[in-house]
Amino acid sequence: MTTLERLRAILVRDYKLAPEALAPEAPLESLGIDSLGVAELLFNVEDEFGITLPPEPVQLPTIGDVVAYIDGLVIAQRGAPASAEPAAESVSRPS
Amino acid sequence: MTRVAVSGIGVVSPLGDTLDEVYANALAGRSGVHRLEAPFSHRLVAPLGATARFDGAAHFEPPKLRMLDRVSQFALVCAQRALDGAADPLSGLDRARAGVFVGTGMAGTLTSDDGYQTLYSDASDRIKPYTVLMGMHNAPAGWIGIEHGLRGPNLTYSTACSSSAVAIGEAWRRVASGELDLALAGGSEAPLSFGSLKAWEALHTLAAIDPAEPSASCKPFSRNRSGMVLGEGAAMLVLEPWERAIARGALPLGEVIGYGLATDATHITRPSVEGQAAALQAALASACLEAAAVDAINAHGTGTQANDPVETAAIKAVFGARAHAIPVSATKAVHGHLLGAAGALECVLALLAMQHGVALPTMHLAVPDPACDLDCVANVARHGLDIGTMLSSSFAFGGTNAVLALRRAG
Repeated sequence: MTTLERLRAILVRDYKLAPEALAPEAPLESLGIDSLGVAELLFNVEDEFGITLPPEPVQLPTIGDVVAYIDGLVIAQRGAPASAEPAAESVSRPS
Repeated sequence: MTRVAVSGIGVVSPLGDTLDEVYANALAGRSGVHRLEAPFSHRLVAPLGATARFDGAAHFEPPKLRMLDRVSQFALVCAQRALDGAADPLSGLDRARAGVFVGTGMAGTLTSDDGYQTLYSDASDRIKPYTVLMGMHNAPAGWIGIEHGLRGPNLTYSTACSSSAVAIGEAWRRVASGELDLALAGGSEAPLSFGSLKAWEALHTLAAIDPAEPSASCKPFSRNRSGMVLGEGAAMLVLEPWERAIARGALPLGEVIGYGLATDATHITRPSVEGQAAALQAALASACLEAAAVDAINAHGTGTQANDPVETAAIKAVFGARAHAIPVSATKAVHGHLLGAAGALECVLALLAMQHGVALPTMHLAVPDPACDLDCVANVARHGLDIGTMLSSSFAFGGTNAVLALRRAG
């Protein structure tokens, strides 16, 4: 699965969003997810992709921005593209 | 002073979600109190609660739902229901002259509990980014203002168990004075978190479980009363000038005609006869009523050792020999104590009781207490009464006593 597909799966599961609405250029705000919602979303991204988010706040207005952010962190922290990685096991409480 | 109509009411409560359902259950004395089935119930001395049948997912899209504590969910749904029942009260309204007045005691305690669980129990730093916004006391009022574009005063009152009576009273003042053309006023409470229940338990104010019938565990004015049962829910009222409501074709459900406020200033928990009596007197004065004009009372009636005899004495102090002739209903026996939302729900029940010419029963009153020797309408509703004027009392830890004076519609 690509990073986009894995992110879409989280958004469909946790936010009950329609998959067809989740294009890379889609603004998250228009989907009802504001900047604080993105911060919450990133907790699940950490588990799904097995990465650790840096503490600095980050502006990610679109789904494509989140995908690029994840890919950058995965390569930096794990040394391989996200799509090549098996899904990390989630250890967090259900959100 | 402008005459103030209650032109719409919205309810989410342990007695139901519609006025018909709430009234029918209160009339029949069907209790919304039950054994609390929660993951932490085994750690409670007396796992009881009065819960609302409410699923936020039925009312809000998931992204929005994640931003709303249950207390705000209740408030938003009730506000919408109140507006829906008031024949389009926002039509033609200058929304800068419309306000929101909400009472809550514990506000987002479920959110706070969840955050503490994450930090302390799970030893995780992933506290929800919305925690402050979900937990803050003014979140319910804030959301209502946003949802309906109401740009006048947006105020939250937190005076423990009198919070929503204060909210309604303060809203009434502003509509009656001509300052506002509309107010959404009431209260919301979602206090059934583990932390909250344990804190109330430690205060030794919660009822023991009635071994024969858990739903009868709250016994106001009864000699074998053992305390209150925490409940959740909300009630919101549309208050507006009577003439405005009538001109629009709304059918008012009653009137708020006065509001009395007085503070014990003696003890943080122990109620005082003088403070409660002063609030009752203040409500009469505010409504320009003689004591003889009061037909019935919805009591604060918590079922605690401390409140009920003090409230009895306060009613006697104000009404004298006539105190025994006034039907006094303590409906917390069946809907539990909704804390900051209690005054609003009981105001609604008083309006419904007047509308139907009924004194609602004080349930689970099998063993009279000589120290609570009023006409408590024990266990069976009284029909066929001509009740034109009622008082609804709400007293509180902290000592803020609030009494609403209400009149039947018409």
